[in-house]
Amino acid sequence: MHPDMNDLSGRLGALAGFEPPVAGWKGVLAAREQRDARQSLGWPSLLAVAVLVATVSLGWWLQSAQRLLPAPADAAEIGVVPVAAGARAVNDRLESLLATLPERHAMRGSTAYTVAELEDRLALLDDRLSLVSLEPNAPERAEKLWQERVDLMHSLVRVRYADAVGTY
Amino acid sequence: MSRIADIQIPDALVAAAQAGDAAALEAIYGATAGPLYTVLRRLVRRPAIAEELLQETFVDVLEHIGAFEGRCPLPAWIRRIAVNRALMYLRSPWHRGLEWLDKDPGGADRLPSAQQVDTQPFDKGLERALMTLPALTRAVVWLHDVEGFTHADIGFALGRTPSFSKSQLARAHRRLRDLLESEQVVAEGAPCTLT
Repeated sequence: MHPDMNDLSGRLGALAGFEPPVAGWKGVLAAREQRDARQSLGWPSLLAVAVLVATVSLGWWLQSAQRLLPAPADAAEIGVVPVAAGARAVNDRLESLLATLPERHAMRGSTAYTVAELEDRLALLDDRLSLVSLEPNAPERAEKLWQERVDLMHSLVRVRYADAVGTY
Repeated sequence: MSRIADIQIPDALVAAAQAGDAAALEAIYGATAGPLYTVLRRLVRRPAIAEELLQETFVDVLEHIGAFEGRCPLPAWIRRIAVNRALMYLRSPWHRGLEWLDKDPGGADRLPSAQQVDTQPFDKGLERALMTLPALTRAVVWLHDVEGFTHADIGFALGRTPSFSKSQLARAHRRLRDLLESEQVVAEGAPCTLT
């Protein structure tokens, strides 16, 4: 039997509904308070955080561009450049930046969900990094994993920054 | 499933809400939250985002209900706010930047659970087929086929042309039809398999 499109509209309309969130009206009032609080944040503090994020983003971008350049032969030969040094440095800067971002007690549901998901992935990645030296192609794997960590950290900083300034 | 178009809100309740009566505002929330949440869940994938959009919609209502002029029923006015918020979210770089998180099967696109659905029969095939559509395409299908938006409305809300809405809908119908057909073939063929 060929499913009729008119019938399809009817079937779509007849699909079961979803129960509204349990937070209900109280959740709306809490969201309003949060919006008021965000609007009361001064522009100077938001500007300072924005400049900080832009600086780290630029550093991250420059670091990514640098990876495409050939490494200096002498440095590589004498082994002074540790594995994934660039990614580790960016990662450290992102960790420092993350520590400066304000952590609000009442984080929005979706933000908390995303932050938790990113932190879970970071934890999983750290676990893999702790075992990477046992792998046969350890340097390449470590480089890749550290880069993944930088990408995750970058996402986490963006989420936390957006939460701090309420831009979405 | 109750429809937003079917919800009747007495004029006196609207007037009280416009005057800032907290109980009236809460009553309006109680009458409209369920159907609005269903629309939002159909438009965005993540339940947490849909909940947040619902809250933000009602924060907008709290702030702007004084400007409601009664040119359309209040539930339709609130739905317009909710839909605009959802479409804004779907079009945002923020959403596109985090789409990779949705690839995690445990993270999103879950079918409604038994607790989430009401007493109507669960059209699992259609639910599943709907979930396979990209977010904006699914939004076009839902707004046109269920909420009764015109292509002009949808095109305007998406910052596109009515033709964009039409082509998205035609493609989505074709895809849904194919998916439903293939599901039917499997279902009909199952008893004939050798065991």
